[in-house]
Amino acid sequence: MSSTPRTPNGRPEPSAELTTLPPVIGINLGNSYASIAEGLAECIANEDGERQIACAISFHGEEMYIGNQAKVQLVKNSQNTITGFRNILGKKFSEIPQSALNMSAPVIQHPDLPDVPAYKVTVLQPAPSPLPIRPGNTSNYNTPSASNIPTPRSEPMSVDRYLTPDEVTTIFIRSLITSAEAFLGKKVKDAVITIPSWFTDAQQAALEKAAAETGVNVLQLLDEAGAAATTTTAESWESSLSPDRTQLLVDVGASSTSITVLSIRSGLAHVLASSNTPSVGGDTIDDKLIKHFSSEFTKKTKIPLTVIPATDIQDKRAEAKLRLALEHTKRTISASPGAATCSIESLKDGVDYTGSINRMRFDLVARPVYVSIGNAIISLLESNSIDSHDIDEIIYLGGSTSLPGLDEYICLSCGFREEVETPFTRGTVVGGGIGDPTTILARGCAVQAHLISSIIEEEDLKSAFTSKTSKAGDVNVTVRTLGVLLPNSNQDELGGMWVPVVKKETALPARRTVRVDVELSESNKVAMEVWEVKEGIRIEKTKPPKADYTDSEDDEEEEEEIEVKHQTLTKETFLGVIQFEAKAGIKVKGKSEYAGKILTSVDVRFVVGVDMGLKVVVKEVGEGGVDVNFEVPGLA
Amino acid sequence: MATVAPALPADYAPPTASTSRLTPASHRTLLPIGPAYLNHLKLSLKHANDFEALDSHLKDELDKKRALEADGANGEDDLGVGDEPEADEVLDLDPKEWKKHDYYAVLGLSHLRFRATQDQIKIAHRKKVLKHHPDKKVSSATPPTNALQFSGINTNDDAFFKCIQKAHEVLSHPEKRRQFDSVDPTFIEWEEDLPSTSVKNKKDLKFFTTFGPIFEHYSRFSRVQPVPPLGAVDATKAEVEGFYDFWYNFDSWRSFEWWDKEVNEGSDNRDDKRYTEKKNKSERARRKKEDTAKLRGLVDLTLGLDPRIKRIKQEEKEAREAKKRGAAGGPPKKTKQQEEEEKKKLEEEARKKEEEEKAARAEAKKAKAAAANAAKKARRAARAAEGET
Repeated sequence: MSSTPRTPNGRPEPSAELTTLPPVIGINLGNSYASIAEGLAECIANEDGERQIACAISFHGEEMYIGNQAKVQLVKNSQNTITGFRNILGKKFSEIPQSALNMSAPVIQHPDLPDVPAYKVTVLQPAPSPLPIRPGNTSNYNTPSASNIPTPRSEPMSVDRYLTPDEVTTIFIRSLITSAEAFLGKKVKDAVITIPSWFTDAQQAALEKAAAETGVNVLQLLDEAGAAATTTTAESWESSLSPDRTQLLVDVGASSTSITVLSIRSGLAHVLASSNTPSVGGDTIDDKLIKHFSSEFTKKTKIPLTVIPATDIQDKRAEAKLRLALEHTKRTISASPGAATCSIESLKDGVDYTGSINRMRFDLVARPVYVSIGNAIISLLESNSIDSHDIDEIIYLGGSTSLPGLDEYICLSCGFREEVETPFTRGTVVGGGIGDPTTILARGCAVQAHLISSIIEEEDLKSAFTSKTSKAGDVNVTVRTLGVLLPNSNQDELGGMWVPVVKKETALPARRTVRVDVELSESNKVAMEVWEVKEGIRIEKTKPPKADYTDSEDDEEEEEEIEVKHQTLTKETFLGVIQFEAKAGIKVKGKSEYAGKILTSVDVRFVVGVDMGLKVVVKEVGEGGVDVNFEVPGLA
Repeated sequence: MATVAPALPADYAPPTASTSRLTPASHRTLLPIGPAYLNHLKLSLKHANDFEALDSHLKDELDKKRALEADGANGEDDLGVGDEPEADEVLDLDPKEWKKHDYYAVLGLSHLRFRATQDQIKIAHRKKVLKHHPDKKVSSATPPTNALQFSGINTNDDAFFKCIQKAHEVLSHPEKRRQFDSVDPTFIEWEEDLPSTSVKNKKDLKFFTTFGPIFEHYSRFSRVQPVPPLGAVDATKAEVEGFYDFWYNFDSWRSFEWWDKEVNEGSDNRDDKRYTEKKNKSERARRKKEDTAKLRGLVDLTLGLDPRIKRIKQEEKEAREAKKRGAAGGPPKKTKQQEEEEKKKLEEEARKKEEEEKAARAEAKKAKAAAANAAKKARRAARAAEGET
């Protein structure tokens, strides 16, 4: 896949292969926004050109609006606009916390069904058509009903409609699928849908049922962390990191933030730790910004505007307008280094407002939210005794994580290594490419859907793959890192060069091969000690390099120490030694560091069985190379 | 590899052998995602955690998939058009020089050439257009790096697209395609190194492998299909005769309009136009004649070298002798022998007749020449006489 050009805006090349792809899609169904991706794992834009489709449905008169069109209705028609339905899907009415602050249609008890939540919306229903005139029904009386003109249909009448969250979800998913079908040009058969990790079985069942109503078969309900890992372990991710790495997923949704630490081992992923903070998210950033802009407005125009909470109906409307306009401001801040504007026509009392905010100001306003996200990360790592030094890669999910300020804060405050890879260091955040935090989940689902549809005939595999109850995913993992130590003459702490082969937290059975170049002595002998090691972190406190300040008064305050972390290795268990005489050594020519020395390449393969039995095969690369085996029996 | 492990110190003493085991494993639940998990499932469910078994299974599957793809069994049938990668020199073609292009290479049909059906051409054209449409070039272009691209001047982006369109125009028009196929550049190139009469003297000439493919190549131009092949060394007399019969009466659709000089469109001069047309026509006729002569020469050469002719003659001779001997043996063969003799007689007669005719013709010619000579002499004598008087 790496050779196919990716267009900057994320639209796939409609290639000839497209027609042969199975009609599957991936749906990322968030609480506030959804996105869809097709078989080639590219995000699809809906009919309005939106890749981020707002989870909102609005009823206005006889019309129904879905997606971003519906979100706009929150200003004028909030009572008939339904948002946030995913989170209450499958829940009983009594389980739903009654929040006082709700802009959209209120959640009420369904009038007919016991303990079922429902949204009440007022719609216009077409009046029943009048009775047709029957021929031959001639009246003796000269009444209007006897006239030949058909009775005109009466005006549509206003009725109350009760929609359960399930029905709303069905309507919404159907619209997503319609968009996908319009893009693909054929009927969608199967789909994979994301769910948050805290979804209960009842909720999953409800989502599955709602999706089934649309006529699309749900192949799998995929955990959001899983969907992200699918994308980031795929070839198209093009990461320079080793396939064995530890990832930190930071998912900042609109209404909640979840953080997950994943151990990725050659594409196999498992969760090391995860947490969910419901009160922090994009909406909290919005709240801060709304406060900021409203106070600016009041300062400029002397019109009082109280928001969060707004009491007056006018203020409420102004808040809704601000919230909608901020979407654009946040996107601009994320995409360009300059200042972003926020302009609203007739914010209050017919007065327009145009304000601008630069990145620094923005970060200052949003800082409390950044801090709480950072704290959530730190506390999660601490509570699971994972050192931030172990994190190799940070993956961001959700639109708010496109903010460069957030990335900067997280990288600085949580003590990650400097070379930790984030979508920002890779430069893939903007442009709807593969690293775009808003598309990763949908892409992952699409990849997964494609994969499952390829094994659809192998029933046993498919059921093991997709079913929630399958025990196939329960595995043994290694606890310590395994590798070989090539002894050298200097007596440092390890006594040689350490080559890790099977990292800790690797699912079993595992097989890894590492190629090592070895310098040969005159005797051509090579020895490799097989060890289990324990990795640790040594913290060194060093003083920062003295800066030349002319201000001598500050000098005493600058004497703060900074912590520098180093990885340490402790030899834990000695398992054996492999010794052989190399036969395929080659003298290095040229001007390199090793010129004139004899080197040989050795492939070291470790196979660790489920029973912790270890098999080591050392093979010299080249003609006539040596082949040595070594085994450690498994635990009974 | 960046790092090289150090040499083993001379005084290295291996630690005493250990009987330790690996640290007991802990338990985790894998996320059911991605192809790696699928492989893990296959490994644990189907192959009893044996990596070698999985490896061989995956290899088998890959082979199967490849075989399927080769059959075109998966997805939409592209009628064997395939995805031929464009060589750089094909991509750099100048659309103004369209007469010199190899249209099959442009459409990615080099493996089919004149055998490509109209459907295949249509599919190949679609594939290329999808890939090279100028609209697509703009969107998929790499981020602009120099000032030229910033200014929006995209140089010559649709050149190859124009080539594709031209190629499609020619190949989808039966008459134009026939003209192009007649002078197909690869065929011309191939034609250049045809065996000449000098191969006669070659000692280790492999007759069938040399001439078989040549006639196969030429058979494309035949209006009558199928074309009899050269056949093998043990071909029957009828086959061999049929072959030479066919090729001596070869009915070719090859023509050379493609190489016509362009009529100067700019000039309205009717005479100019007619002159060019006339020249083209004669040139075409000349080339056609040359082509026919060349083929004829080739057939002559083949006939001369054909080992089967010798064999057939030998066989006939033997058959005759056998018959002769057989005639003495029994009466049933008599009629045949008689027939043969009659035939022979007839042939003899015919030959005699021919010879006679020939002789007569020669005589007549001689007589004529003599007469002419005599007349000349007479005239000269007359002139001399006139001069004297």
